[in-house]
Amino acid sequence: MVVDSHLVLGGDPVGAGVGLGALGPLPVAQMIALGPLPDAQMIALGLLPDAQLIANGLVFSSIIVLGSVGLSLVYDIADFPNFAHGDLMTVGAYATLAVGGFYVALPFPVAVVVGTAAATAVAVGTHWLVFDRMDVGPLELLIASIGVAFVYRAVLMQAFTSGSQSYDVGGRSPIPALRTVFDVALTYRQLVILAATVLLVVGLHVFLQYTTMGRKMRATSANGSLAKVSGIRTGRVVLVMWVVGGVLAAVGGVFLGLETLVRPRMGFDLLLVLFAAVILGGIGSVYGAMLGGVVIGMVHELTPWIPLVPTRYDKALAFLIMILILLVRPSGIMGGGTSR
Amino acid sequence: MSTTGLEYDGADLGKDALLRVEDLRKEFGGIVATDATLGVERGSLTGLIGPNGAGKSTLFNLVSGFLDPDAGRVYLDGVDVTDRRPDEIAQRGLLRTFQTPRTLEGMTVRESLLVAPFDQPGESILPLYFQPGSVTDTERELLGRAQQLLEAFEIDHLATTPSTELSGGQSKLVELARAMMTDPYVLLLDEPVAGVNPVLEAELTDHIRRLNDRGVTFLVIEHDMDFIMDIADPIIVLNQGRVLVEGSPEAVRTDERVLDAYLGGVS
Amino acid sequence: MPTDDPAGEDRDAGTDEPRVGWRMPVSTWWAGIEARESRTLVGLAAFGVAVALAVYVGWLNVSYVLPLLGLAGMFSLLTLGLNVQWGYTGLVNFSVIAFWGIGAYSAAMTTAGSGSPTGLELHPIVGLLAAVVLSATLATLIAIPTLRLRADYLAIATLGFAEIVRIVINNERDYTAGSAGIAGIPGLFAWVPSALRVPLPGATLRVALPRALVEFAVVASMVLFVYLFVRRLQLSPWGRVQRTIRADEDLAQALGKNTYRFKLQSFVLGSVIMALGGVASVHLFINFVSPDSLDPIRTFYVWIGVILGGSGSNRGAVLGGLVVVAIREAPTLVRDQLTDAVFPPRVLTDALAPLVSPSAVPVLDVGALFARLNVGALQLFLVGALVILIVRYRSEGLLPPKRELVWSAALEDDDA
Repeated sequence: MVVDSHLVLGGDPVGAGVGLGALGPLPVAQMIALGPLPDAQMIALGLLPDAQLIANGLVFSSIIVLGSVGLSLVYDIADFPNFAHGDLMTVGAYATLAVGGFYVALPFPVAVVVGTAAATAVAVGTHWLVFDRMDVGPLELLIASIGVAFVYRAVLMQAFTSGSQSYDVGGRSPIPALRTVFDVALTYRQLVILAATVLLVVGLHVFLQYTTMGRKMRATSANGSLAKVSGIRTGRVVLVMWVVGGVLAAVGGVFLGLETLVRPRMGFDLLLVLFAAVILGGIGSVYGAMLGGVVIGMVHELTPWIPLVPTRYDKALAFLIMILILLVRPSGIMGGGTSR
Repeated sequence: MSTTGLEYDGADLGKDALLRVEDLRKEFGGIVATDATLGVERGSLTGLIGPNGAGKSTLFNLVSGFLDPDAGRVYLDGVDVTDRRPDEIAQRGLLRTFQTPRTLEGMTVRESLLVAPFDQPGESILPLYFQPGSVTDTERELLGRAQQLLEAFEIDHLATTPSTELSGGQSKLVELARAMMTDPYVLLLDEPVAGVNPVLEAELTDHIRRLNDRGVTFLVIEHDMDFIMDIADPIIVLNQGRVLVEGSPEAVRTDERVLDAYLGGVS
Repeated sequence: MPTDDPAGEDRDAGTDEPRVGWRMPVSTWWAGIEARESRTLVGLAAFGVAVALAVYVGWLNVSYVLPLLGLAGMFSLLTLGLNVQWGYTGLVNFSVIAFWGIGAYSAAMTTAGSGSPTGLELHPIVGLLAAVVLSATLATLIAIPTLRLRADYLAIATLGFAEIVRIVINNERDYTAGSAGIAGIPGLFAWVPSALRVPLPGATLRVALPRALVEFAVVASMVLFVYLFVRRLQLSPWGRVQRTIRADEDLAQALGKNTYRFKLQSFVLGSVIMALGGVASVHLFINFVSPDSLDPIRTFYVWIGVILGGSGSNRGAVLGGLVVVAIREAPTLVRDQLTDAVFPPRVLTDALAPLVSPSAVPVLDVGALFARLNVGALQLFLVGALVILIVRYRSEGLLPPKRELVWSAALEDDDA
């Protein structure tokens, strides 16, 4: 079963914005005659997305950003699209579940740290056991990464059953202050997700810009062979890249589990959206992946507001954006010229 | 089109340089890789030398359509081919080889020669089922031609050898034979004797000369100075993307600017 | 290995040509086969004999084996299609099962009656045409933006496309019946009785499952037809250009080949073959289709079939269909058969009773261990682990393609 994230994310799915399509075409003359509209009216007419959709979009974007940054890093530095990245998020979600109630009941924040560490170890272990040992081209690595994704999921299904589960932690209720002031239903969980994502993204920025390892990583990303020639130990850079990608993916997986449910296919189902974000931002650009993640995440949640597109086609919309970008600007909005 | 690929048709190709490059410019990340104007005369065997990073391979990639230039034009036999795809440029008679020999995994030497000729009827799907006879006829003709070329290059014993099992020098010979399957007017060779043993190098030199005598125009990149000074005339020296000197091997050898450029490249 | 023997090279190239093969004595044919190939063929023959024996003595039921062989044939159509894309050209298509679904739903929506929301009840030929047109169009639409770019973009786009197809079919209930699926697709051989007894003088001849036999024969002939079709492509100059693109696309372009056109043809052709597989499977074995059949794991079953059979080899692809069914069935067999037959809990407990204390015995209940096995998880694990191992050890597969592929008629007449 695919759980529609709107139903869980949207505090008020029924009243969440009315599309222009639903209203039918509005005569332009009439719109002009109305003059500038007050915000409330613009929202009612579907000209502006309402605050609730934007809040949902930001929360979903956070999860996408966490996933797509790691995916972009691996794509760039290891030079293959890692189809196991979505399932790495799933591993993070389940590892946290395992120590957060399923097998052991640690306090949730501790469980997240332990689960993230475990998932990161899985990412690094996979690199050592599988990808690093293969003397093959990017296409073969890509195919092998699908195998890795399946092995992850198979082990999780055997260990945790194929069904859906949820974290035993509170914070599901909307924050009253936000509700009264902005008329937005944002839960405590969602606030934590937003804050933690901002922290992680800022942390990554500081790491990339102000530490020696971060600079080496950017150099390797810009030109792998040149970095090797200039004495950068690319092996260590690749290792750190898997750690960074693994941590972000695992935390993203936990957040996805908090927002929807913990399911064996949760990460694989998100893969298309992650790739759309990475390609939109431009493969090889971490900041592009962040921007792409925000755009795709917002579009995904704003579908109810976009005319003529039924909500159930939110993923199709992400796919469409990806195809359009490939048609008009394959290097992405912030990418260099690595289209060939 | 000749049947053996060994004779040059000698079609009328106009009076100007066969290959003209005008202000052809390419930057990578703000660094100018190539910014050159040069011409390759019909029937010449022109050498292209320069220190590492002088932009020789970039120039090849621009001329053969594998890179899009930032500015400038390329004329092949008076026709502007600047924005053409690599395959269109090849079809106009300009063939190139690559610096590292490209081996075709899963194909024998003979197969790798047969693939070269343009517009074979069997390259479209419908004739395979509705006119198999014409496909067979062409294949038979091409097989004969491949055999002749393999014999001419003295590699006919390698016909059914997998391409991946060739030595570096053998690959270079196969590349040359493969290019000749298409009756090219111009051949761009990227380091044809790099990593080739002296015996095969002498053979390659003979083959290139022989083809040049029959009318094929060559533009050759090579770091082996003895080889290029022996075989090429004129020689064009590139430095930092620009043409530094153009002239006979003697003139280039004695030009101090060339020496400076190479010393500058070394230090 | 360099060889100076001209007779040897012609024999090598000629073994793939049936006209030569039929004229050749069996011993010559066997001598021309490489060691790996002969091992595979021996193994295959042994497997066939074992299955036949098992059916004969009654261990396996014909009604179990025949549909599985039909399913293998259906998967062979998919592996043959993917082999054109991946084996010939090196294109990564993760939409295999989506194209199968496009074929299956085209047939279902045009030909089914009351079981379908559309209820058109048109002739099956209409469904076939719709499947071809729709699959070719959609394949072209995915290919246009991606084939000019780096090879991995096609992989990403097809992964997304497969998901979109599933979402659309699940949601457009007015046309596809959503998750309920479309039933009542006309079976092409419904007029063949499902059981048959022929009264002969003095005895009654019982023909086992005549309909299933006919359906299997139809699938087998489809596989043979597609096999002959794509093999001619492979041996042709067209296939030669595709192999060049797979090995080195730059070189193909430098030799004047419009690689975009060739890749487009290969992708569209392979996808149409997959859609034909979809049409066949809803008109033959099970006259029902639902989005459950579009699970992405099936795409990777097909991938296993192609790379384990031998990328680029059509015989390998046909064998791959059998491999797929084996992998799909193995986990169920392990759970159901081994649990009860091989490890009956009582036997083990009794055998071990003298050795261990009674309280430890339940721990050694292997049967219970297998019973807890999640079949879905084990199938997934098998597929994943096999993919990794094949790529890791650069396996050529069970029946790798011939060393040289030449338009054989040209070679043959050359000698004459």
